[in-house]
Amino acid sequence: MFNAEKFVEESIYKLKNTIKGKALIAFSGGVDSTVTATLVNKAIRDKLIAVHVDTGYMRKNESQQVETLMKKLGLNYHIIDASKEYYDSLINIVDPEEKRKIIGEKFIRIFEKVAQKEEVDFLIQGTIAPDWIESGDGLRDTIKSHHNVGGLPKEMKLKIVEPLRDLYKDEVREVARTLKLSVAERQPFPGPGLAIRIIGAATKDRVEIVREACFIVETEIDAAVSKGKMTRPWQYFAVLIPIKTVGVHGDKRAYGYTIAIRAVESIDAMTCSYSNIPHEVLDRISIQITNSLGEKINRIVYDITHKPPGTVEWE
Amino acid sequence: MVRILVVDNGGQWTHREWRTLRDLGVDTKIFPNTAKFEEFENYGVDGLVLSGGAPRMGLQNNLGNCKEYLQKANFPILGICAGHQFMARFFGGNVKPSKIPEFGKVELQILSKDSLLFKDLPKKSIVWESHNDEVVELPPTFELLASSENCLIQAMQHKTKPLFGLQFHPEVKHTEFGEKIFSNFITICEE
Repeated sequence: MFNAEKFVEESIYKLKNTIKGKALIAFSGGVDSTVTATLVNKAIRDKLIAVHVDTGYMRKNESQQVETLMKKLGLNYHIIDASKEYYDSLINIVDPEEKRKIIGEKFIRIFEKVAQKEEVDFLIQGTIAPDWIESGDGLRDTIKSHHNVGGLPKEMKLKIVEPLRDLYKDEVREVARTLKLSVAERQPFPGPGLAIRIIGAATKDRVEIVREACFIVETEIDAAVSKGKMTRPWQYFAVLIPIKTVGVHGDKRAYGYTIAIRAVESIDAMTCSYSNIPHEVLDRISIQITNSLGEKINRIVYDITHKPPGTVEWE
Repeated sequence: MVRILVVDNGGQWTHREWRTLRDLGVDTKIFPNTAKFEEFENYGVDGLVLSGGAPRMGLQNNLGNCKEYLQKANFPILGICAGHQFMARFFGGNVKPSKIPEFGKVELQILSKDSLLFKDLPKKSIVWESHNDEVVELPPTFELLASSENCLIQAMQHKTKPLFGLQFHPEVKHTEFGEKIFSNFITICEE
């Protein structure tokens, strides 16, 4: 059985021996990177520098919350707003694999710049087992290139260290609880962020739509959970499908995009079943989204696909 | 402690097989399917799991060095998905692309009453699938253990040797009694 306390002890010992000098950590503020940062921080103390990149594809107020978290953890940190750069480079990109690779490479180039300035050789990542399994290798097919593995550029100067590589999310959460981290139960959020929750080109206008829709799905489900109407799904969000359908708004024809509601139950992300959100809650989500996004969205659908055959995120 | 090695045929869930065995207190390690049989013997081995993988057993004949393992092993082997299909082909059965491939949730019906692999399992349970091909003809030395609505040969067992094949995936959390199947296989390896 996985022993979180033993894992913490052994990881700190290994990290002390592996990392020479200073190190950067790619810090999204999720469970994986927060656990990783805490372990490395215990190993090398203030020689660790956290870098949070605001790609423009973060959820509502997320980067501010991440800053608060980095302060609370006592990390040395940089926040880099690269949103314009990301929007520009993804403006015409439709293929999900291409999106993921552009995003992955951009992350590394940004980290390299900081590393040069700070004279750092090591890049720490919160990579976990599904990231490298799904990214593929000589033996395994590529399901999707996770930005931190399959999305890495072929040529890079930084040496990668990944202390959580053999762990699944449930084990990472156990470590987070052992370390008493507030993010232990936070739902997963992919590194490429909202860019892969927009089917087709992830333009700035579309990000605003899916950001609001994700916010509504999260808010309504959180409220339903706290009222005891349902249990919290493993992951829950909105996907923007840029297919227009006809509606009617105040006696006038409407012609807007579609939002899909996605919620799944899982332990480790390797298999998932779709969540049974009560109709009452779906109803509220549907009305909240169409009311607040007006002419942009006039149709809401509910994704009822397991994994396999689907994956959790649509891209 | 019993030692069960996992042969990696490139499956999405190979690492989950390793994890399930480890969680059940087994000494386990993943080997690529290019490993030589001697490597298992040198490491020490009481049982082997042949993982699934993307290779299409309905369209091709080889699966790394799995042939060598089946020729030389004198310990229990559990083939899963592509591993199961390869085992069937090796012993003279036949594998073809599925008429109706299964992905995700499926109801399994156990037909055998006395298989040690399914000991203490209910007759019907939920299993998780992910296959494009399937065994369409049992090898003459094997018997049928379980079926599903769209796939007749979901599980098989050698009539005299501790060799088992499963089309579904006992290593994933969504398979209701997956862990129980692994612990039954561990018991078989201990004997």
